[in-house]
Amino acid sequence: MDPLLTVTDVAKSFGDVKAVDGVSFGIRRGTIAGLLGRNGAGKTTTLRMINGIFFPDRGAISLFGGEPAAARDRVGYLPEERGLYRKMTVLELLLFLAEIKGRAPARTKGAAEAWLRRFELWDRKDVKVEELSKGNQQKVQLVGALLHDPEILILDEPMSGLDPVNVVLVRRLLLELRAEGKTILLSTHQMAEAEKLAEEIILIHRGKVVLDGSLAEVRASSGKSAVHLDFDGDGAFLTSLPGVAGGRVDTNRAELVLAAGADAQALLEAAVSRLRIRKFEVVSPSLEEIFIEKVGEATLDEERTAAA
Amino acid sequence: MKKLRAVFKREYLQAVRKKSFLIMTVLTPFLFGALMIIPSALAMKGMGEKAVAVVDGTGRLEAAVSEGLKAPPGPEPKRDTAESLERPGRGRRGTMPGKMRVEYVSAAGRDPKEAAKPSLDRLHTERTGERLDGVFVIPRGAFEDPTLPLTYFSRSSTDLIVQERLGRVVNRALERERLAGRGLDPEAVDALLRDLPVHAVQVTKEGEEKTGGEMNFLVGFVFVLLIFIPVLIYGQEVMRGIIQEKTDRVVEILVSSMTPFELLSGKILGMAAVGLTQIAVWVAMGGVFAAWGTATALAAGVNLGQFLRPGLALWFLVFFVLGYLINVCIYAVGGAIVNSEKEAQQALGPVIMVMMLPWFLVMPILMNPDSALSTILSLIPIYTPITMFIRILVSEPPAWQVALSIVLAGLTIVGFFWVTAKIFRVGLLAYGKRPTIPELWRWLKVA
Repeated sequence: MDPLLTVTDVAKSFGDVKAVDGVSFGIRRGTIAGLLGRNGAGKTTTLRMINGIFFPDRGAISLFGGEPAAARDRVGYLPEERGLYRKMTVLELLLFLAEIKGRAPARTKGAAEAWLRRFELWDRKDVKVEELSKGNQQKVQLVGALLHDPEILILDEPMSGLDPVNVVLVRRLLLELRAEGKTILLSTHQMAEAEKLAEEIILIHRGKVVLDGSLAEVRASSGKSAVHLDFDGDGAFLTSLPGVAGGRVDTNRAELVLAAGADAQALLEAAVSRLRIRKFEVVSPSLEEIFIEKVGEATLDEERTAAA
Repeated sequence: MKKLRAVFKREYLQAVRKKSFLIMTVLTPFLFGALMIIPSALAMKGMGEKAVAVVDGTGRLEAAVSEGLKAPPGPEPKRDTAESLERPGRGRRGTMPGKMRVEYVSAAGRDPKEAAKPSLDRLHTERTGERLDGVFVIPRGAFEDPTLPLTYFSRSSTDLIVQERLGRVVNRALERERLAGRGLDPEAVDALLRDLPVHAVQVTKEGEEKTGGEMNFLVGFVFVLLIFIPVLIYGQEVMRGIIQEKTDRVVEILVSSMTPFELLSGKILGMAAVGLTQIAVWVAMGGVFAAWGTATALAAGVNLGQFLRPGLALWFLVFFVLGYLINVCIYAVGGAIVNSEKEAQQALGPVIMVMMLPWFLVMPILMNPDSALSTILSLIPIYTPITMFIRILVSEPPAWQVALSIVLAGLTIVGFFWVTAKIFRVGLLAYGKRPTIPELWRWLKVA
């Protein structure tokens, strides 16, 4: 399937700083993709270029098979920082945001009410935006990105400023939207959040893509997946099985590190034939661990010292 | 177009609903009225109760002076009703409704300075009934020595109207007495010395004659203000709005949803509509005042209506829109390239000074609407709106000049719009620092 959004070798510098340096990736229709990276990795700049806010110095972006500018009205964008008219009332502002995406206010009013009710903001529809809390402003911003019923949502740190209850609310909403066939590209620096939501992962670091693929692929790419075993019997032979790179075997429990590309299923079969298995668990490394592995502890340490 | 309309509607409604807009719109005409009426009312009131002593060293002018003060200086021509609508230029001063209470003190055979002493003391007395506003001293040798000055003593050196009027009356009395001394009959002298009034008549190309040109000044000023004030106010407003959008980051949403041209046009036209709304309200209020005031003006012999030709409204609209668009483009660029209002004031200060030039030249342009200066200024696009409008108002500039000025201004606006949209696009998003001129140039080429 052709990707809905293709980013090809895009670069953007601000003065001497290379914010984005040759980034390429594609996103298929109907998926949730996570753009991951630390602060300053180039996530926001990339998303701004996709939205036509910045012009890339180099490279090409294609959306719905054409220029991103031609597809403006089919995109919903949630900027990283709050981007709302503070002096407007909530409902008025939302109708305006939909109107500049080509939807007549008369036609979006019903949808606006439904969204505001869902976010428990309907009773505040005539309140000025500046009187809302930061979390509520974030929710208004999100409704603003959704109201014109876009086919692709580009969300820059959608969870920032939300309390845990609202995080769950938004997460459920995004999964629903995907079920409806929408495509979602979200950026976050919280790897754990991305693990819960995203099927596709694009990890960027210092303006470059370090990892790109489905969550499973990304995990498989790590050389460090592990198997945890609880068993009865003598498990000493486990470390010498093919595909096991190392590990520790205790009386009733083993933690084995798999070699890259090793099949956990084969390991299980070998184990079952000689032991009574009470628990068998393939433990994928967390995205955070994979990220550190890919980027290298050294660079991260270097950054920490530089920041300090 | 839909998006342009959305921006237009938002800008318009947000501005019109502001309390400051309501207050400005309602109060300004009153403020203007007060500015125009109060000083003249005060001046007239001040004129109303002048108590003056005339100390006559010759002792022979009592009759002539009191006669001269009774009748307005200079003969009033007999007017029929039609003529009374158009007051002759000069009659104004004569009928200034200033009353003077004159005490005549004959100082014949005495030194007039000595004789004036008690009167001079009364300039600063606290007793209201005796207080004098001025003392006019005629020297003893006034008939013989033409170099002797008449002296007017007053508390304020700026009491010019009384001084001038007394001076004229006394001089006329002296002339009359001198001539009478040559054996002429005072009646005959009055007839001989009669001034003829001057009528100011503007002849149009069609041969139509219009009088009362002095009122054109007033009308000219009012219209210049009507063009200038909204441009300054809403130019600033556009700039402030853009800066606000930048600090609030709404601009990301806007720029990702529409072309810079749609955004800029929507904003500028929205604000222009706000300005026109305000002017419409002012004109309507002015109309009410005028209807109420016309009676007064007619009674005073001024027909304001003759200056408000029907075509004028059209010209006003044309030049208002031209002036508005040119100026607001400048403010919009300003808003796009700066990051705070403080910065904006610094950056735009010199620009505004340049734009304001015609304002300082209103008088010369009004007085010499067809001079080289006026012609050149009216053909420089940024000055066209005000200068050409004044020229059309008080004179009849050649049609080709008017057409050329409008075409040039139109082209300038198109050019400004193009440049503005480009700089706008890049400037809006160049967070953090103000660009240098070379950078601006690069933006123009890149965007």
